[in-house]
This record gives sequence, structure tokens and C-alpha cells, in this order.
Amino acid sequence: MTEHTVKSYGEELSHLTAEVTRMGGLAEAQVADAIECIARRDAGLAQSVVGRDERLDTLQVEIERKAFRLIALRQPMAVDLRHAVAALKISMNLERCGDLAKNIGKRALILNDAEPMSALTRSIERMGRLVQSRLKDVLDAYTASDVQRAIGVWSSDEEVDEHYNSIFRELLTYMMGDPRTINACTHLLFVAKNLERIGDHATNIAENIHFELTGEEIISQRPKLDVIAQ
Amino acid sequence: MPTVSPPSPVAPERWGDALAGAWAGAWTAVAAGPAALVAMAALGAAKPGVALPAAVLLGGGGIFLLRRLRRGIEGQALAAAPAAAATDRAPPFATILENLPEPLMVIAAEEADDLTGRRFVFANGAARERFRIREGALLVTAVRSPQVLEAVDESLFGGLERTVEWTGVGSQGRDWTAHSRPLGRDDRGSQLALLVLRDETDVRRTERTRADFLANASHELRTPLASLSGFIETLRGHAKEDPGARDKFLGIMQAQAERMSRLIDDLMSLSRIELNEHIAPAGRVDLAMAAEDVIDALAPQARDKAVTFDSILPPRGAAVVEGDRDQIVQVIQNLVDNAIKYTPKEGVVRVEIFPGLTAGTASAARDPAAARLSLLTPDLSDRDERYAGLRVSDKGPGIAREHLPRLTERFYRVEGQKSGERQGTGLGLAIVKHIINRHHGGLHVESLQGEGTTFGVYLPMAKSLPQKDLATADGATPGGVVKLS
Repeated sequence: MTEHTVKSYGEELSHLTAEVTRMGGLAEAQVADAIECIARRDAGLAQSVVGRDERLDTLQVEIERKAFRLIALRQPMAVDLRHAVAALKISMNLERCGDLAKNIGKRALILNDAEPMSALTRSIERMGRLVQSRLKDVLDAYTASDVQRAIGVWSSDEEVDEHYNSIFRELLTYMMGDPRTINACTHLLFVAKNLERIGDHATNIAENIHFELTGEEIISQRPKLDVIAQ
Repeated sequence: MPTVSPPSPVAPERWGDALAGAWAGAWTAVAAGPAALVAMAALGAAKPGVALPAAVLLGGGGIFLLRRLRRGIEGQALAAAPAAAATDRAPPFATILENLPEPLMVIAAEEADDLTGRRFVFANGAARERFRIREGALLVTAVRSPQVLEAVDESLFGGLERTVEWTGVGSQGRDWTAHSRPLGRDDRGSQLALLVLRDETDVRRTERTRADFLANASHELRTPLASLSGFIETLRGHAKEDPGARDKFLGIMQAQAERMSRLIDDLMSLSRIELNEHIAPAGRVDLAMAAEDVIDALAPQARDKAVTFDSILPPRGAAVVEGDRDQIVQVIQNLVDNAIKYTPKEGVVRVEIFPGLTAGTASAARDPAAARLSLLTPDLSDRDERYAGLRVSDKGPGIAREHLPRLTERFYRVEGQKSGERQGTGLGLAIVKHIINRHHGGLHVESLQGEGTTFGVYLPMAKSLPQKDLATADGATPGGVVKLS
């Protein structure tokens, strides 16, 4: 075997998946650290979350380039085409997750100036852990090409919504009770919203996986909770 | 003394003999575990100029094993490999590595800029089981953590040793310490690195639990303690000569003291459960028999409130789950006890058990109008898993939707709900959740305000014994070793 090997088509495809998975790992770590810096009031960690987001952006551009290259040069059909497109779409969703994590990091820096509100940050942490496990499950489903697991993530988004709803009410009660907390509570509300959005991206990724593996959209209506309507 | 380094030019078979010689005296110590193994290896193979004799040898063993296996398979001579060597004088390296409790992997890579080209060339039993590593798998399919990937890269291309911490996610997530060590090049010119993971979950959990316990206990014990000291003050003061007031106050004090002791009991059992949460339960429990026992035990309480039970239980032996009997009984007891508390006088508490459900049917909603939430979802990777479901329903006031996500939180109480004179500790459902998590089961709640609440638990059914005993890792060869790459 020579040093320089020409990669086969199949290898190129599987390496695209691997690259998306690697990016997923980075996004997971960003989300985990973002939650950690809210829970522990860790300014240094928050700074590094904000700083590391660039790496996700670079990776996404790279994956995009590779996917386009593959589509252009190899002209994949059917499942292979879906494979390349899914990599594109999933990397976009992961990049958004990273942006949201970065935003949480920025808010953590502001929240550090306010009084600690451990009851609220605990709720946020709990919601964060849930979102984190959704992201993990969906990435596991992606690496294992497991449709069932992807559907599991897709259909349980409701739980994240319930948490968001619960935090929304909790924050309202706090703000009504003590107007001095409005500033910090508003930031926490956005943090919760960002987490909820990350959960949505996880379900989007689950949809992408489903399409990649089966060639069909998930048609049934996803159970969805509307906070505003309640 | 033979020189030992992994990319040794010595033929693998000869190399194995050389290793065996170096190890002969140390053989008895090997059983003492991987630490002893590494230490002895370092002593036996000490060679000046080798920076990492221990790690290199451990990893070298991996590569040696790999080569040996490759040869063995190619030459149809596998039967003569590890098992035969054990009876000889050579220690069975293959079996040692395979059976190390810590996940151990050897990773190969060709080019530094090919970020996703790292792949497994060897993974021992613990690694394959824990990370679902398939044959020829790429590193990222098993490990996504950026810290660990970076550490491996530094070992592969920078020749550096790295130790990083890595925390898993999810209800059964574990905390790992990952050690990566460079192993040089193999005969095909690929860079090699060793990755060993150590499970630190229990250590870190113990620390965290201790901190939580102190914080919770001090906070929750303050209320009854304040009331106790208040009454003592009153009894020593103006209520001293009033027998009526004294009796009443002593009654309240007794109730408060009992509450404190219940609280301490619950906190203790919660921290015990948390410490064992990652140790799979051993034993089998018949859910129906456990439910019968609980119903009998709680009969006096039910009689006090004139609450009757409506139970639908399968015949004995139909709903046997894998589990710790005491803990399963505690789950049922906490749920039935809650149901009795919240059911109005002369109400009915319904206890139902259904065996042989799939995860989907076990967690399915019963009443579409009710607010419903899954409080704990098991890892559903095994699609053939069958569950036994338990449902406990009360006819109480129901729980509003916004409270559902927080039900299993410690000390969380739904506002404005009275649970009767025998106040709960606020830990019952937290205990239930932790026990079910340990048993790899699921928990969900369904509630309709004004109609009542149903808690549903589902636990994996016990598998028939012979099947379990024969279960081996996928692709295991007779020697108990799997070749990757």
C-alpha cells in the first residue's frame, strides 16, 4: 500500500458521515459547556464557549464543500445522494446549535453580574440536560443509521416543550414578585428559548436521518405544545 | 533480557516467547489487576530510552495480539493461539486484554490532516460492549467528545501522553477519564495510539451526592426543627401548667419528630439508591406478587380513609422483571401510598399490571384528553426488549400540566395540594425515578384535572436463563477475542 491513497467513493461517503459526527461532538460539547456555565456561573468557560464557536463554523463550511464536491464529481444517486444531502442539512442544524450555545455563553457572562438565582438556574440546567440528551440520542442514531432511534427523538420533543413552558411560568412568577429580577430573568428566558430551539434542531436532524435512511418524510403530525396559546 | 517495543522486527511468534520469558516470574501478580500488570511489565521490560515502557507494552500487547490473530486466522491455526498458550508457560495476552474491565482501544491513522481517518484496529470486550464498536469502525462513530479526539490526535501525531476527563450524557451517562498514549508506527506505516478509559462515575457521584445530601437535609430539617424548639419554649413558659395545651403540643411535637425521621430515612435511601444507580440489579421479581404484598401492607392506611383497591393482576410468573426486590417494592409502595393520600374518602385506587409490552405500548397514552409526560425514558436501542407495565391510578384532584416536568424533583410540592395529615417528604417520586433508572425502565404520568392521576412504570422483563448465560459479544471468536480492521 502506498502513502498516498486515492479514496474510493464509498470511503468518501463514510468519511462525510464521520466528519458530520465529529462536528456533532463539538456541538454537543458546546451545548454542554453552555449549560455548565449557566449552572456554575463560570465566566472563563463562558468565554471559551463563545470563542470556540468559530471552529464549528469552519467545520460546517468544510463539510459543505466536501458534500458539493462529492455531488458534483461523483453524481450520486438515490440513497447516496440522500446521504450527501443529509450531511449538508445536518451540519447546518449543528452549526445553528453552536450559535445558540454561543448566545447562551454570552448571556451567562451578563448573568454573572446579577445575584445568583439558584432555583431558576437549576430548572434551566434540568432542561439543558434533557436537550443535551436529545442531541446525543439523535447523533447516536446518525452514527448507527438507526431510524427507530431517530423517530424516538423526533416524537419526544414535547417533553422539552413542557420544560420550557414550566420555566416560562416560573420566570413570570419571579418577575412579578420582584421587579429587580426582571433583567436577569429576561436573559434566563432567552436561555430557555435557545435551549428549546436546540431541541427543535435535534428533531430536525431526526427528520433528516429518517429521510436519508428511508427516502420518505415523516408525515404524521408531531405532538407539539404551544406555549403562547395556553 | 530481550528488548521489547511494539514495532519490533522480531517475528510475532518469537516476540511472544520473549515476552513470556520476561513475564514468567510476574505471572502470579497479573491476577491482581491491570495496575499490577502494567507495573510488572515495566519492571520486566525496563529498557533505557523508552519513555513509556508500561503503556507501550500494554499497547504492544494489543498489536501483538492483533498480529497473532491475523496470522492465526490466515494460517487456520487459531486453535493453537490464546487458549493453548494459557496451559503452556506463556500468559494469554489476548485473554488478559480482552477481559480487562477497562475499555481499551488501539487507534490507527495515516495522515494528520485527514481528521476522520482514525479507525480502531483493536478494541477489547469492555470497549466493544460499552461503545458498540463494529468491525473496522472509525473512531468518531464511538467517541465524539472533542477533548478525547484531540488527546488521541496528540498521541498519534505529537507523540504526547494525554489524560482528559469526559462526561457522558443522559440518564445512564457515565464519567470517564481517558488516557491516550502514543504507540509508534506499525509495519504498514500507520501511526498508532492507545486509548484506555477509566470509569470515574462512582467517585464523582459520591462527591456530588454528599454535597447534595448536606444541602437538602439541612434545608428541609430546619422547618420541623424550628417548630419543635418553638413548642419546647412554649411548654417551658406559659403552657407549663396547662395540661390540655401540653397534651396538644406534645402531639404536634411527636408528629414533627416523626416527620424529621421520615425525612432522614428517605434522604438516606435516596443517596443509597443513587450510589448504586449504575450497578445493574441482580435478581428477579414477580411484579404481581410484589404488588399484592404492597396492597396488603398498605391496607390499614386505606381502611382509615375507606379507600378500596381495584387491582388487575396477571397470574403469578407472568410478569417477572429483572430487579432488586426491595427496590421494586419501594417503587410500588411509594406510588400506591401517594395514590391513597390523594384519593378522597371512599375512593378507589386502581393498580394494574400488564406483562409482555413493547416500549411503545408500555408508554402509550390512555386518555387523549389528559396532560401526559414521560418522566423517564429508557435507552430504546434494544427493540426486542419486552416490558412489564404497572399503572397506579387515583381519583384525586389531578395535577396541572405545568407541574408535571418537576414532579420527580426533590422536595417539589405541587402548590395548594393537601396530602392529608400524614405529610410526605417530597422525596417519594425522586426515589421512584432513581430506582427505575437503575432498572433501565421508564416512568410516565397522565393527569386530568378533577379526574385523577395515573403513574405508569415499565420495567424490562426477565429473560429466560439459558439465553442470558450463553450471550456473548457479537462476533466473538472461540478465543474470546475479536479482530478489528
